[in-house]
Amino acid sequence: MSCIHGNYEALNAVLSDIDRQKADRIFCLGDLVGYGPHPNAVVEMIRSMDIPTVQGCWDEDIVEGLNACECSYPSILAEKRGKAAHEWTNDQIQPEVREYLAQLPLSLREENLCFVHGSPHNQHEYLMPEINAFTALERVMATGADVLFCGHTHIPYVRTLDAGQLAVKVQQPEGTSTKQFTAPLKQIINAGSVGEPRHGRPNATYVIYDTDDKLTTLREVEYDYQLTCQAIIDKGLPAIFAWRLAQGLEYAERAEDPTHVCER
Amino acid sequence: MWAIASGIEGNLAAYEAVVADLKKSRQEVENFYLLGDIIGPTAESNRLVKRIQQPRNGEPIPLVCQGWWEEQILILHTLGRTGEPTELIDRYGIDMTKTLWDAIDSTTLKWVQSLEFGFAELDCFLIHGSSVDVSDELTPTTDPIQMLDKLSRMEANQLFCGRSGLAFEYKIESGSLTSQVQTLDTLSAPTPTVLSPRRIVGVGSVGRIEGKASYTLYYPGSNKLEFKTVRYGAKKGFG
Repeated sequence: MSCIHGNYEALNAVLSDIDRQKADRIFCLGDLVGYGPHPNAVVEMIRSMDIPTVQGCWDEDIVEGLNACECSYPSILAEKRGKAAHEWTNDQIQPEVREYLAQLPLSLREENLCFVHGSPHNQHEYLMPEINAFTALERVMATGADVLFCGHTHIPYVRTLDAGQLAVKVQQPEGTSTKQFTAPLKQIINAGSVGEPRHGRPNATYVIYDTDDKLTTLREVEYDYQLTCQAIIDKGLPAIFAWRLAQGLEYAERAEDPTHVCER
Repeated sequence: MWAIASGIEGNLAAYEAVVADLKKSRQEVENFYLLGDIIGPTAESNRLVKRIQQPRNGEPIPLVCQGWWEEQILILHTLGRTGEPTELIDRYGIDMTKTLWDAIDSTTLKWVQSLEFGFAELDCFLIHGSSVDVSDELTPTTDPIQMLDKLSRMEANQLFCGRSGLAFEYKIESGSLTSQVQTLDTLSAPTPTVLSPRRIVGVGSVGRIEGKASYTLYYPGSNKLEFKTVRYGAKKGFG
C-alpha cells in the first residue's frame, strides 16, 4: 500500500480488506502524512503493526522542511494549498512521529522484489504507466530486482516489460566490440493510494501480490470517505482536499511534466 | 564540422596543440565545443581561460560548458549545486581544497559561473558528465540500459560527453521491448517498442595525459565521427 496521506478511515478499511485477503506480509510505500486530517494516528497504526515502510516525499518534507522547487506546483493556487497542508501537518505532527518518519529508508528489498515511493532514483519521480518502456525498464533494472513496487502517482497499475533487448557496438581507438543486452520479464507495480486516490473514484486502492504465482490483484476498497472529508473541513485544511477526495481526482493539480524531478 | 574537446585541466600546451591541429584542417570548424574541465588545480588554468576567451585570428570561438573541476571551485565558493566539497576531498584529499582555492583567481571564477550546463544542437546533446550529474562517468563498459536512459533524459539521439576522458563511440544499434499495462479499468494489448539507432560519444581528453591530447571531430552532414590524437612537447599538465 502507498500514499495514505493522513486518511485514517481509508487505512482502516484497507487493513480490514488485507486481513480478508489473508496476506502474509504488508509493505508500505510512504507518504503516510500530508493532505489528510489524521497524520499522527496513521503513523501510530503503521508503527504498531510493524509494517515495513519506505519514506515518501511528504514524509521527507515533514522531516527536512518544505524545500521542493516550484515545479511541484502547477499553479500558484496549487502551491498555496500545498504549503497550507504542509504547515498544518507540520504543526500537528508529534515529535516521536517526526523521528519515525526521519528514520524510514528510501527503499526496501525482499528477495527479487524492491519497494520505493516514487522511483529508485528519486522519491519525487512519477513512474506514470505511459512513460517510455525502456525508461521503465531502466528503473526496474536499477534496483537489481525483478519487480519494482512504487506509489506516488496515486493511480494503481501493473506494467509488464518483456523480452527487452539492446544491441550495442563500441568503437575505440583500440578496436571494436559488440555486446547484447537482454532483460527477462520485469514488472512495475504501482500500489495506488490508500488515502488520496486519483483514479476517478473515491475508493481506497492498494495491491495484492502473490509471490507463488507472480500474479497481482489491484484492489479497490469502498469506505466512508465522507468522514475523512468532514474531518478535513473541521480541522481547517483546504476544503479542496475534501472535494478532491470525494471525486478521486487531482483536479487542477496535475504537474505539466510528471517526469520532472525537483533539483533540491 | 564540429570540434569537440574536454578535460584540458589547465594544460595550456595541450590546448595550444589542439588549436594548432584544428588550424591545419582543410574544413572549417563550425562549432568548437569545450565540454568542461577546462581548469585544474593550477594557476596555469587562469592563463588558459584568458587564452580561450581571446581566440586569435582564424581560430574558432569555443563554446564552453561546466565540468567537474568547475563544479568543485563553485562548491568551494558556495556557488555550486551541492553544499560540501565531499567528492573533491574523497578523490584528492583535504589539501586539494586549498590548492584549488588558491589556484583559481576571481576573474576565472566569474567566468566559470557564466558557463552553460550543456548544449543542445540538432539531435545532439553535449555535456561534461551526463544530464544526471556532472560527475557521471559514462564509459565503454557502462550498462546499455543506463546509457539509453542518459540519452532519453535529454531527448537526444547523440550524447557527447567528456567525464571519462576516453575516446569512444557507443552505438546502440537496435533495441526492442514489449510492454503491457493493466489498470483498474483496462488491460492494454502487449505493445512493442522498437528503438532507432543512437549513440554516446566519449570525446577524449585534451590535457589529462601529458604529451597526448585527444579530441573528436563530428561531421553533422554525414554523421561521421573522427577521433584525433595530437602529440605535443614535454610541458607537464595536471593529472
